Amino acid sequence: MNAHYFFPPADAYPLNRCLYRLKSEPAYRARFVADRETAMTEAGLDHAARAALAAFDRDRLVGLGAHPYLVFMVDLRLKMERAPATFERF
Amino acid sequence: MPLVAAVACPHTPQLLMRPDTEDRDLVLRVHAAYARVQRMLTDARPDAICLIGGDHVEGFFLSAVPAFAVAVGARVAGHFGPYDYSFPVHEPLARAIVEQGIEREFDLLYTQDVALDYAFYVPLHFAMPAPAVPIVPLYVNVYLPPQPTPRRCYAWGRVLRQILDGRPERVALVASGGMSHYPGTDRYASPDFEWDRAMLAMLREGRGAETARLTGEELDKAGNVELRTWITLLGAVGDARAEVLCYEPSWHHGNAMVAWPVR
Repeated sequence: MNAHYFFPPADAYPLNRCLYRLKSEPAYRARFVADRETAMTEAGLDHAARAALAAFDRDRLVGLGAHPYLVFMVDLRLKMERAPATFERF
Repeated sequence: MPLVAAVACPHTPQLLMRPDTEDRDLVLRVHAAYARVQRMLTDARPDAICLIGGDHVEGFFLSAVPAFAVAVGARVAGHFGPYDYSFPVHEPLARAIVEQGIEREFDLLYTQDVALDYAFYVPLHFAMPAPAVPIVPLYVNVYLPPQPTPRRCYAWGRVLRQILDGRPERVALVASGGMSHYPGTDRYASPDFEWDRAMLAMLREGRGAETARLTGEELDKAGNVELRTWITLLGAVGDARAEVLCYEPSWHHGNAMVAWPVR
């Protein structure tokens, strides 16, 4: 059985670091939203990772070694910023 | 001083900021269970809450991945969208846990500078007792394999209990996590609620020690990698019979709240 959460491959480190910053660094996330290409260049992503992230294709990102949870939470964080009115706060 | 409370609760951020994908009534029922936990914690009059949480790659990224860690700073702070949290750390207690834990051969990482994850502040948002008390964030690695084994988590919980029993503070122990969910995977919309219910039945019977025999593979398969925080707590409460305060399965998550009697 393949584990849902797997050992993060070392060659995916730039991608995982980029996702981590998108999740946890509001300033980087804002730069990404404003100018995705520059933000991805800054993150040192290769062509495959850039294409998967630009399309925000979960399966491709995870296939490249992205941590599934990071992909999930980056997606939620981006939605929280793009459409805050669709969330009810408690 | 013996423990004054022991509870486990969920922390999904959708309980704090509800997207329109989430059933509002279900969310409110989980909030009602949190209110019960808040009353329990308030009635227990703790001096501190030791909160066992599974970091969501927030405080600890791939730069350093501790199996078990303790935050020993003056304060810990975290941010989620419009929410900003900052809590005082019970420094003497946190330091005693690190020092005595290492003395008892648990080679803990400690940090005085760590971003607080929502595994910690979502439960506190809803269930911080009144008046508020300082916390000790206790980290268990749940999302970055290889995670500590259930056996090791249980053993750490036993040692934690010994340390706490020897302290002057009244401590409430809270485990944050679970139950079944698979964020970011293709099983997200089909949690293993049967596994959860069987586990809750076992805990009701006071068979918490059996969780030490689970494997990491079983936890991953059942969407319960975060149960390691509960297993750590179970090491501290032993064979006490659990009271299930709520089990609310949503389309992607088994929201469970559980309390254990403490002596």
